[in-house]
Amino acid sequence: MSAAAPPPEVVLNMAARADGVAVVRQALAGMADALAFDAAVLSDMKMAVTEACTNVVVHAYDEDPGQLEVQMLAGEQDLTIVVRDHGSGIQPRPNRDGPPALGLGLPLIAALSDAFELRGTADRGTEVRMTFAYTRDGDPASANPVSGSVGADGRWEPGDPPA
Amino acid sequence: MGIVPPAMEANPIVLDDTAGDVVVVVVEGEHDIYTAPTLRGRLEEALDRGGGLVVDLTGATFVDSSVLGALLDARRRALESAQGFVVCVGDTVEPGVKRILDITGLVPVLPVMRGRDEAVEAARNGDGP
Repeated sequence: MSAAAPPPEVVLNMAARADGVAVVRQALAGMADALAFDAAVLSDMKMAVTEACTNVVVHAYDEDPGQLEVQMLAGEQDLTIVVRDHGSGIQPRPNRDGPPALGLGLPLIAALSDAFELRGTADRGTEVRMTFAYTRDGDPASANPVSGSVGADGRWEPGDPPA
Repeated sequence: MGIVPPAMEANPIVLDDTAGDVVVVVVEGEHDIYTAPTLRGRLEEALDRGGGLVVDLTGATFVDSSVLGALLDARRRALESAQGFVVCVGDTVEPGVKRILDITGLVPVLPVMRGRDEAVEAARNGDGP
């Protein structure tokens, strides 16, 4: 029997700069075209991947931008996207160049993806792994709603986790 | 075809002061951490004029949390100086804009309205945060 075609896989390796985040979205849209995603899922993927890449651009590296790695792995039922840096680890550095981040990135990623995992070590960088089903039974944002609201300092204040 | 970095020309942020005492910051296209500093600058410029401020996202196709951070900072500044602040999104809101506003619960906070005219009127009356 002939071997099945290997599952589509895309790997992007680029400098962790702000102007690269839109490039990742374009690549994701191209990959999603080939996989016939529902439009709402694609929209959520773009948002979640943007937030993960933004975390790398803003927090991962001290001065010289290091690498931003994005891996997209198409499975039978879903697409897994891994966003990785080789920066300072899971405790983010403060944003040196701009205003303080809102702190909403990870809650958004959790709400928009069907599964989400954050791995990091102090000296080997951080990896955000997100999975998106091609078709959905329900809205992941209902299962993992963004909790909290804007505090007086303008940052996101996490609220009580949903019951 | 190639993948090209975003150009500001394709994702403009312009000030429209034809409404008189209310300045409208018109945001079109995709906006994220790359264009957020430009947006912050335009919002500052609009607030410096001292009147109400409307941010019109009708032509925006995508905004991320960096954009929300810029909007929330402008809202706070408007609040401190008693200037009206309203965001409008038009009647058919792009998923890349609607979704993040919905799931963060920011529609009543910012606040977000539909049409530009009603937003301008609300900002003129000092409505908003």
